[in-house]
Amino acid sequence: MLFLLFFGGAASLFLGYIYVATAGEAQRTADAAIAREARSLDDAYRSGGFGALNEAVIERSSSTRGFLYLVMDRAGAPVSGSIARSPFAKAPNGSAWTSFRLTESIDGALERRPARGMEERLSGGDLLFVGADVGEAEGYVLRIVNALWGAAALVVVLGLCGGLLVASDLTRNVSALNEVIGAARVGDLGVRAKVRGTGDELDELAAGLNDMLERLERSIAGLRHAGDAIAHDLRSPLTRLRARMEAALVETEAGRGDPVAALRQALEDADGMLRTFTAVLAIARLEAAASAPDQIRFDPGELAAGVAELYEPLADDKGLEFGAELTQGLSVRGNRDFIGQALANLLDNAVKYTPGGGAVMLRVRRTGAGEIELSVTDTGMGVPEGDRERIVGRFVRLENSRNAPGAGLGLSLVAAVAHAHRGRLELAEGPGAVGGLGPGLRAAIVLPAA
Amino acid sequence: MRLLIVEDDAEAALAMSKGLVEAGHEAEVAADGEAGLGLARDGRFDVLIVDRMLPKLDGVAMVEQLRREGEQTPVLFLSALGEISHRVEGLKAGGDDYLVKPYAFAELIARVEALARRRETGSVQTLLRVGELEMDLIGREVRRRGRKIDLQPREFQLLEFLMRHAGQSVTRTMLLERVWEYHFDPQTNVIDVHISRLRSKIEKGFDKPMLQTVRGAGYRLDA
Repeated sequence: MLFLLFFGGAASLFLGYIYVATAGEAQRTADAAIAREARSLDDAYRSGGFGALNEAVIERSSSTRGFLYLVMDRAGAPVSGSIARSPFAKAPNGSAWTSFRLTESIDGALERRPARGMEERLSGGDLLFVGADVGEAEGYVLRIVNALWGAAALVVVLGLCGGLLVASDLTRNVSALNEVIGAARVGDLGVRAKVRGTGDELDELAAGLNDMLERLERSIAGLRHAGDAIAHDLRSPLTRLRARMEAALVETEAGRGDPVAALRQALEDADGMLRTFTAVLAIARLEAAASAPDQIRFDPGELAAGVAELYEPLADDKGLEFGAELTQGLSVRGNRDFIGQALANLLDNAVKYTPGGGAVMLRVRRTGAGEIELSVTDTGMGVPEGDRERIVGRFVRLENSRNAPGAGLGLSLVAAVAHAHRGRLELAEGPGAVGGLGPGLRAAIVLPAA
Repeated sequence: MRLLIVEDDAEAALAMSKGLVEAGHEAEVAADGEAGLGLARDGRFDVLIVDRMLPKLDGVAMVEQLRREGEQTPVLFLSALGEISHRVEGLKAGGDDYLVKPYAFAELIARVEALARRRETGSVQTLLRVGELEMDLIGREVRRRGRKIDLQPREFQLLEFLMRHAGQSVTRTMLLERVWEYHFDPQTNVIDVHISRLRSKIEKGFDKPMLQTVRGAGYRLDA
C-alpha cells in the first residue's frame, strides 16, 4: 500500500514537471514574440510619432502576421487596431501582461480562444496593446498533456502490475522460507530451502538458512550419536561391573572370595569407563563446535617431534623400526593439545597393530596443494579398502583386532580433530606387502596451512 | 598436612576428606566459597583444594580474593571443565595446579603432596641429592655414588622431576603434564616405557632399587 502511494506520488510529480516545463515554454515563446513586435512598433512611434505608429498598426492589422493590435489615446479610447477594445480594464502606467480569452467568429460560430497580450504606455502617453492568439501553442500543450495522461495511466498500470508481480514473487519466496523454518521449528531438520540460483538477497538468505540447518542437523545427529554411543559402550561395562560386585558381595557374605581383589577390579572397570566417557565427550564437543577451541599458531614439525620422542621407546621395545621425517618451520593454526592427541592416537594404533620386525614412520610435510600433512605409516596388517571409512566410526574395531586394548575411539577422535580444524583424515594403503609384512596403513591428518 | 577442602558436593567432600585422613593428613571442609574464604584467611592450611564452581562465591573469585589479600597458600583447583582456556583461567586467578574431574584419588593425593612440597623448597637449587643420586642442574650431570650416568635430555628432565618430588608418588598424568607439557591422555602407557629406561640407567650395576612403581598411582623415587 505504501508502495502504491509512493509510486502514485512520484508519477504525479514527474508528469506535473513535464506539464509545467512544456506549457511554460509555450507561453515564454509567445511572450517573446509579442515583446519583439511591440518593440518594433515602439521604434516606429519613437521615430515617426503617433501617426507612424497608427499607420504601422493599420498596415500590420491587415497582414497575416497573426498578432492582435490596438492603439489607444491617452484616455484609453481606441484609435486603430484589429481588436475592438483592450482586455485590460484599467490602463497600466508602464507595461503589463495578461492572459485572456479572445472571442472570434470562425465560419459563423463563436469561438473563445486563449490569447496572451501586453499593454504599454508609450513615451508620448498613448497606449499600445499587442497580443497574440496562443490557441495553436495551447493546443500543442494540451496534446502533450493528453499524451502525458495516457502515459501516466500506462505507467500506473504497468507499475502496479510489476509491483504486484514482484510482491507476489517475494511473498511466495518468503513464505517458502517460512515453511522451512516452521518445519525446522517442530523438529524436522532435514528440510532445506530452495536456492533458485539467482544470486539475490533471498537466495543468500535461503543458502544461509540451509547452512544453519545443515550445521544444526549435524551437531544434533552428533549429540544423538554420542548419546547412543555412550549408552552402548557404558552399558556393557556397567553391567559387567554390577555383576562382578554382586558376585563379590555374595562370596564375601559366604566367607569366601577376596573383597580387595573385587574392589580393585571394580576400580579398573570404572577407570576404563571414565576414559571412554571422556573420549566420547571430546569427540561430540569437537563435532558440535564450528571449530576447535583455544587455537594458536604453531610449528607442526615441532609438535610431531615431541610426540615422536614420546612414542619412540614404545616402538623400540616392541622391536619396530621407528623413523621420523619432519619438515620444520611449517605453520598451522589449531588446538595444540587436540592435534597432539590425534597424532598420539595414530602412533598408538601404528605401534599396536604392527608386529615386531615391522616399521613405523612419522612424517610432517607440505603437500603440493600447500596443505600441511601429518602422517603415520606402518607395515602392519593394514585395513582393507572397504573397511577404511567404517573404522573411523565410533567404537568400530575390526574382527582381528578385538583382543587388542582400546575402546575403538582413537580414529573417531582423530577425524573429529581434523574436521574441527577444517581438515580431514585420509586413510590409504601403506608401503605394500613385503615378506610377510604389510600391506600396512597410512593415516594422514591434512590441515590447511596458516 | 592440614588441608582445606572447599566443595559443595557434601558426599564428594566427605569421601575426599576420609581419603586424605586415611593418607595421614588433616582435612577440613567448607561448603561454599564464602565459608572457604573465611577459613582460608587464617593461613593455617598447607594446601587448599578448591572446586571451581561453588555457591555464593565462585572458586576462581574466591582464590582471586585470597591472593589480593596476600594469602599465598597453594591452591589445587578441581573442575569438570577441562579445556585449556579453563585451565589457564584457574591458574591466572592464582591457582597452582588444576585437576579435571573425574580423577583417581591417588592423583589428588600426589598433586596435593607435590604442592605442599613446592612451598617448602622455595629457594633456587643448583644441586639435587636423593640418597646416592646427585644431579648438577648447571653442569647437567647425574652421578650415582660418584659414577656418571649418561641421560638423554628428556630422561634428565624426568629424573629432575622425580628427584624434586623424592619420597612422593607422582602419577603418569603429572609426568606427562610437567615433563612433556602435554594435556592429553595417551591410550597406551607410554610413560611406563620411559620410566623403565630411566630405571635401568640409574639402577644397572647398583644393588639398591630407587625408582619404585606405586600400584594404582604411579612412581616414587626413594633414597
